[in-house]
Amino acid sequence: MEETPAGTCEHCGHPFPTSERLVLHKGIEHPSQLDDSEQEAFESAVTEEEADLRTLRLKALAVLVLLYFGLLILYAIFA
Amino acid sequence: MDVTGCAKKESKGWSLSTILRTVLSVPRFRVGVQFLMWVALLMFVVDTVAAGNGLTLSKQSRDTLAVPQWLYLATGGATIGASALLASFVTDRAFIRYLHSWSRTLPSIERWWDPLVWIGHGLGVAALVLSVFLGFAGPQLPTASLTILLTFAGVRAGLPIVTYFVGNVWPVLNPWRTIAAILPSGYREYPDSLQRWPAVGGLLVLVWVEVIFPISTVPTVLVMVILIYSTITITGALLFGPESWFDNADPLSVLFRLYGAVAPLQRENDEIQVKLPGSDLRSSDVVTDVSDVAFIIALIWELTYSGFITTSAGVTTVETLVSFIPAMVANVEVRAVLVYTILFVCGYAVFLGAYWYAGRLSRRGTGTYITARTIAFQFAPPLLAIAAGYHFAHYAGLFVSLSPALTMALTSPLSPPANPLVLSPPSWFEGLGIASVLIGHLLAIWAAHAVAYDLFSSRLVAIRSQYPFIAVMIGYTVISLWIISLPGAIPPYLS
Ligand SMILES: [Zn+2]
Repeated sequence: MEETPAGTCEHCGHPFPTSERLVLHKGIEHPSQLDDSEQEAFESAVTEEEADLRTLRLKALAVLVLLYFGLLILYAIFA
Repeated sequence: MDVTGCAKKESKGWSLSTILRTVLSVPRFRVGVQFLMWVALLMFVVDTVAAGNGLTLSKQSRDTLAVPQWLYLATGGATIGASALLASFVTDRAFIRYLHSWSRTLPSIERWWDPLVWIGHGLGVAALVLSVFLGFAGPQLPTASLTILLTFAGVRAGLPIVTYFVGNVWPVLNPWRTIAAILPSGYREYPDSLQRWPAVGGLLVLVWVEVIFPISTVPTVLVMVILIYSTITITGALLFGPESWFDNADPLSVLFRLYGAVAPLQRENDEIQVKLPGSDLRSSDVVTDVSDVAFIIALIWELTYSGFITTSAGVTTVETLVSFIPAMVANVEVRAVLVYTILFVCGYAVFLGAYWYAGRLSRRGTGTYITARTIAFQFAPPLLAIAAGYHFAHYAGLFVSLSPALTMALTSPLSPPANPLVLSPPSWFEGLGIASVLIGHLLAIWAAHAVAYDLFSSRLVAIRSQYPFIAVMIGYTVISLWIISLPGAIPPYLS
């Protein structure tokens, strides 16, 4: 974490550990100051993020189902 | 987004598919669908847990649980975990921001404001004067003493409930503020470096005094405490000016301001606004210093502590610890006070440490360059919803049971009935306690979710940043559900 950041926002000076997070930051916090290539990079980063979020949601759903049936079984045995 | 939507409508014809596309692209529609899905999922989980807990609640007595205790606690913890998972399904920034910034301005009450404020000032000062006078001259039976009833049923139980359900009225009622405002003040500059630390210390001392001294049973002792508190408060307010004293150093004012952050009614620029409960917990001006975090954790800890020492497990713990201290050190009362104090301080340190550690873990887990300090500041306000839930679980019953006595004492303060009516809350109040602990945590989870989205641009990082705090919240829930489920007892060795 204390190693050099992958990039620093030139608008507010905040450092970021990965370049994707820098791209997302610029797109969300400084949308009016993006040039064309930054805009493109932001859009593709968001698309990629959506895909990752979908995977995460699936995992969360799996944990929820496990939790639900786990409790159901525990209640069936102990209550 | 709305602007482009309108432009589309005008430039193209009104074919069915364009209408459909236009409707679907409206953010509000998406937001609505997502909201409905979230509510449905949440209801499903809460319902399941409530049904599970219902098994324990249908039994009148606490010690004949139909469900083993560990399962009841696991279910409570799982509810918090499950709702955090559910919250992670909500990934639409626009929706989160929309919900948390939703507000409606109430019709102006400017005409009524001044008279209302004067009535409030008058009520506050009258209550203080009456309390002091009746503490000495009034009845000494706790359930007939207006001093005790106003302090405990009023300021300790009722007023915080009003504050987090409606809004903060303490600045108007606060009698010490009213008195200090009409006297000359402001001889010294309040040292900025102290921040809210005096209030943190004050709150801890007040709770300690409440535990150690018989202020809830002997009116004359309570009056002494009120007089000491009044002296310190008025002196401080006159020395540093009421504004900075009540904003920073007065524990009651800080307590009510923080509970007020949960409330749906907020006063902004002389207007009263209705918001969704807890939406202000996302705002970054609730917590601006480490002392604010310390105060919020102290709120959670004092409720946990005073709950714990009035249970059978608390009594056993205190008795065991007292027997560990050799008898020749001091007599049993002194040893007991020592044990209560050590428990109080150590528990607070553990609660504070757990929260601070979560902040560090959250920073490490996300690899962010935002400081652990900032992260800890931002995630602290959601804990106020938890504190409010605990407070309601512990004090709603007390308020209901003492309210007839309070009414009687108010109508005839000097000649109360020999046998004041004390209600025993109905059995479903225990269920209400469990529900309020869970709802407080759900609100906190949701507010923390919004905080994370404000803090991090990457939504994956925002979700990951919450894990340590959710673990801490699950810990707090399990502890407080455990305390609620224990049979009550009277703390030993204290008069
Ligand atoms: Zn920036």
